[in-house]
Amino acid sequence: MSDLAKEKAARLLKKRGSLSSLGSHDVRTKEPAWKAKDSISTVSYIDEPGHHDDIPRPAMQMENTYQLGPTKRFPVLTVQDILKDVLASYLQEEKYEPELCRQMTKTISEVVKARVKDMMIPRYKVIVVISIGQLTDQNMRMGSRCLWDAASDTFSSHTFKNSSLFAVANVYGVYFE
Amino acid sequence: MEEYHSGDEVFMVVKQCIEGVIGGVDYNQNNVNQWTARIVEHSLTQLVKQGKPFKYIVNCAVMQKSGAGLHTANSCYWDTTTDGSCTVRWENRTMYCVVGVFAVAIAL
Repeated sequence: MSDLAKEKAARLLKKRGSLSSLGSHDVRTKEPAWKAKDSISTVSYIDEPGHHDDIPRPAMQMENTYQLGPTKRFPVLTVQDILKDVLASYLQEEKYEPELCRQMTKTISEVVKARVKDMMIPRYKVIVVISIGQLTDQNMRMGSRCLWDAASDTFSSHTFKNSSLFAVANVYGVYFE
Repeated sequence: MEEYHSGDEVFMVVKQCIEGVIGGVDYNQNNVNQWTARIVEHSLTQLVKQGKPFKYIVNCAVMQKSGAGLHTANSCYWDTTTDGSCTVRWENRTMYCVVGVFAVAIAL
């Protein structure tokens, strides 16, 4: 599509009698902006209607890499450090309260996702799951099973506890082949 | 494909798996380990049987009912046109069960 636009711009410039390279620059600068649209995140909450169809976007096709595996792997330990850091800073002094913790789970999941995105690991899709619960005498068990390519996909997990609440954070990294 | 995934079918499949494993029983600390493992494995097998080109992540939490509160949130960075997720909440007299299914598309 950009080639067509380039040709059109060149034809227009020829008609006006000048062949400046400015035209092609303009067309080229469109591409990075186009690529930046690839990563759009939507936030949807189970207690609110879904926002998926608000912005109609064309389906993005990622090209084949023809590589056998990812060039840069998902950094498990770095992500675990991010989780430790975020959970400790947000929850160290907090006491369990329903409204606060409801907002906190959403905030923390967005913050962790933003920090993992900042690491710019190419072609990896990221899923962040946060659970915050009240500490009483109850017992709880969490389990997770994944069907993926174990050579390229992985996860990172961390739990945090203080006197009145506990938090569990899981980050899954899935490679897009 | 994403619309199909986030529809009722996945919800029903997972709900049946949960009911099959912990349907009529009370919370028992000795068995919880087995229950979460079984719920997750059954759900995954049923999803794979559908034969769709997806990678799956199934997350399950079983908690005893004692008046305590639990909040879960997830945030995903993916291609919203092809990937999707579904969360199923189930409870009985003595426990809660929350299962989250995430499906990430494979390029064909």
